[in-house]
Amino acid sequence: MGVRCVELPGIGTKYELETEKGDRVAIIFLPSRHFQLYVQQKGSAAPSAAEISPSEARRLGSLLSGAIIEAEKEAVEIAFSALADLRIRVHTYLIRGNLAGKSIADLQVRTRTGATIVAVSRKGQNTVSPAPSFTFYEGDIAVVIGETEQLQEFERKVLES
Amino acid sequence: MEEIALALACCLALAFISKRWSLPAIPFYILAGVALGESGFGLVPADEFTAYLSYLGLIFLLFYVGLEIRPKSLLRQGTPLLISGVIDLNVNFLLAFVGALALGFSLPDALVIGAALYVSSSAIAVASLVENRKLLLPESETIVWLMVIEDVILILLLSLFTAGGENPLAMLATIAVVAIVLFAAVRAGKPFLRSLLTRDDEIPVLFTFTAVVSTLYISKLLKIPEALVAILLGASLASTGAPLLERLSQPFRDVFLVLFFVFFGITVDFSGTSSLVPIVAMTVVAIGSKILTGLLVGRILHGSYAAGMEIGSTIIARGEFSIAFAAIYGSGAISALLAAVVIITSLTGSFTARFSDRLKGFLPTARAAGTEP
Repeated sequence: MGVRCVELPGIGTKYELETEKGDRVAIIFLPSRHFQLYVQQKGSAAPSAAEISPSEARRLGSLLSGAIIEAEKEAVEIAFSALADLRIRVHTYLIRGNLAGKSIADLQVRTRTGATIVAVSRKGQNTVSPAPSFTFYEGDIAVVIGETEQLQEFERKVLES
Repeated sequence: MEEIALALACCLALAFISKRWSLPAIPFYILAGVALGESGFGLVPADEFTAYLSYLGLIFLLFYVGLEIRPKSLLRQGTPLLISGVIDLNVNFLLAFVGALALGFSLPDALVIGAALYVSSSAIAVASLVENRKLLLPESETIVWLMVIEDVILILLLSLFTAGGENPLAMLATIAVVAIVLFAAVRAGKPFLRSLLTRDDEIPVLFTFTAVVSTLYISKLLKIPEALVAILLGASLASTGAPLLERLSQPFRDVFLVLFFVFFGITVDFSGTSSLVPIVAMTVVAIGSKILTGLLVGRILHGSYAAGMEIGSTIIARGEFSIAFAAIYGSGAISALLAAVVIITSLTGSFTARFSDRLKGFLPTARAAGTEP
């Protein structure tokens, strides 16, 4: 069954879906850019609702939209339909004290493991495509991209060095 | 007139408190005005400057109403919307009108009371639907569109009341001409207006403010009611991009509307009301008529009285439009009555909307049909 789009003047837009099994799911776009997500079980009298922020919606959206994305703990595997055997994993790692004060160039991440550090998150501040001179602090979260073997090398050689 | 700062500071504090407790802010703003004005501590005088600012609140509100009307979407809703709109108008207007006559108000006063109490507060109804997370229910769609059609009927009522004044034909003709000019001008200048409104500098917001404020000037020049001009302006400009204009006018609307409620409270004169009987009676009528409307609409459109109770309990609150009617057409005696009914129904309404499920338990059919767990 299709998604029903309803305009609610003064509120926003409601997208409603009745699933094959008879449950109902609805998403309402509010003017505050927040969303309300409703789920009503078949046969149940009252629906349940959650109010989600734009960033939460993006996370849920990427979870729901992925036949080609598998989420596993802090890792995501991406496959492209046009590139058959290409499987890229993106993994987040917590940087501990042993790496504090060392830069990406010092650690020679790409040379030694083949993986690439795409972004580092420090106390909520994100640095995307960090320069080789970027120095780690303890508590940073590094986003590393590569094939499974390359990430394993990263974990073995860099993280635990 | 510097005392406005005092009024606004009070409203700010009350806004915090009311939102904290999930209550509508409108009754608090009015009460702040009552406490600070003539009937209360007399701290804030009702001077011309404040009156002008508060009138801007009304104009911005009506401009917003014009923006939100969406005639094409309205027509798409079809007969069900028309049915609910007609029931809503008849039940509520008639009961309030008859009640006012019975209480001894004159015919013109009773007509104003009827119109003022017919309109529910769209703001409170919509806010309670979002907060109480009722948006999955089909009844919520009915409620939301009912609020829009009330806006349309509001325009008709305003026009009718205008026609009751001097030179009705001349005035209606002038209004029609203004409407045609506005719509034609916007249509012709649409690309220009769009580029104007999407600029990055101060021009969009300056344009919006100027346009809305000039309704006061135009209506003074042509001697037609400002309320109608404001709505017409909104309706005509809506085609250039209603969301954009809403965003540009919202800060002004929010601030001036608060002043509007406060000022109304300041000017309300409770000394004329000797007993509570009229207030209690009209409140009961006001609450009862909306519940009755809801039950009828729910039965006809959704097939159940339970749905009807859901609808009725959400639209009980009166607010911005009722006060608007009182401000434009009301005499001193009516203002006090309407202020009281608005305050009571808006607070009651927020509770009935939240606890509508408990209210459904009072329906005999609910129990008989076994929908109770």
